Amino acid sequence: MSDMPSQNTAMVTAKNVSFTANGQRLLNDISVRITSGNITVVLGHNGAGKTLLLSALHGLITPQHGTITGPSRQKQKMVFQKPVLLRRSARDYFEFLCPGLDDSKVQNWFKKAQLCPQMTTPARQLSGGESQKLALIGALASQPDLLFLDEPTAHLDFESIGFIESQITAARKSGTTIVMTSHNRAQAERLAEHVIFMENGKIVEIASAKTFFSSPQTKAAKTYLKHY
Amino acid sequence: MEFLTPFKIAFSLLFSADAELMAIIRLSMTISLSAVACSLFVGLPVGAILASMKFPGRQAIIILSNTLLSMPPVIVGLIIYILVSQSGPLGWTGILYTPYAMALAQTVLVLPISIALSRQVFETLHTEYNPLFMSLGIGRWQRIKTLVFDARIALVTIALACFGRAISEVGAVIIVGGNIRHVSRVMTTTIALETSKGELGIAMALGIVLLTIALLVNVASQFISAHFKRAGLDV
Repeated sequence: MSDMPSQNTAMVTAKNVSFTANGQRLLNDISVRITSGNITVVLGHNGAGKTLLLSALHGLITPQHGTITGPSRQKQKMVFQKPVLLRRSARDYFEFLCPGLDDSKVQNWFKKAQLCPQMTTPARQLSGGESQKLALIGALASQPDLLFLDEPTAHLDFESIGFIESQITAARKSGTTIVMTSHNRAQAERLAEHVIFMENGKIVEIASAKTFFSSPQTKAAKTYLKHY
Repeated sequence: MEFLTPFKIAFSLLFSADAELMAIIRLSMTISLSAVACSLFVGLPVGAILASMKFPGRQAIIILSNTLLSMPPVIVGLIIYILVSQSGPLGWTGILYTPYAMALAQTVLVLPISIALSRQVFETLHTEYNPLFMSLGIGRWQRIKTLVFDARIALVTIALACFGRAISEVGAVIIVGGNIRHVSRVMTTTIALETSKGELGIAMALGIVLLTIALLVNVASQFISAHFKRAGLDV
């Protein structure tokens, strides 16, 4: 198994995980140990298996082979690349994601995300950036131990990207372990402490972000970094 | 009789708010609305369960409810008649030839509609919501509650479809209601009776009311769908 270059305890561990769908092996003998309190960015080309890896680690799909151990369902959250928006107001949607918060805390989160004017707007009428911010604060408000983010800033404007990155950093500082995918090299360099590089459903390289971006070990990673 | 005479009589009865005519309209509306309420009360949770859960016999229930969609109303009337007649298993209720039996027959008729249509809506919604439900670890009853709440707009149009079917029903209600004046005479059974007697005026008046109701149901359905689509609340 490949260990993260850290002495911290494992937050989530996958051992020899394989997942096949329609006769295609989409995750191939994945073994990874993600340590607590870090930001890990999963990189790779489209179709490399990044989202599927996050889904498997989060428990949304059940691999045919291998084992995954992690925190309980209540202690982990996932923000999808395209948030699943319920047919209700932004506030009601937020409260569905994170039930039981008192009104002042709800207000604070909306204020933080600059979404106060949109509180009563139907969630499905929010813009891409607004809905992504809403999904993120909904996940962060419950202070999860482990947070999965699937391309949280894809197709968003600079303001939304700035907000989301600041929240990711803040969550990490308060102890949340973050595993995210990204296609944005600059963003990965800004946020990542560890990098998992995937190709064709396999983990090709795991390294600290510094090592990965300065001297990648595999040819696949070198080629990838040339293009991104 | 001139061609236009029934229309003249019909409008005269309607504009004078003829007491018997109004009583028939009231009874029709009460029976059909009760039947729709009962069918939604049972049908929506069943639709949501069929859409969101896998269990043995699920497919059999789907096939049964789809088969009942095409059940002839007179057969439903006959079955309810046998059930609630004095020698039947529900004979003790004493509801034969009362509006209760008519509401029961209409409920049985529209229940498969509410199950089939709501199942379709809930399936669409459940496919979309399932990753979020799984991610949040939402339990099965909370899922059903969420699906029913979020499909509320589609459910209004389902209710209107059920109402349209119930109010226009004649075969079953005439069997179990008996078409008794001041007791179980509704719009459709009155139209059938009065036409057979050659009294086309009252039949036409009730026909106009039925058509107006059908028109209003459709307008309301379109309006509600369009309004909530704009608000991003459609399914």
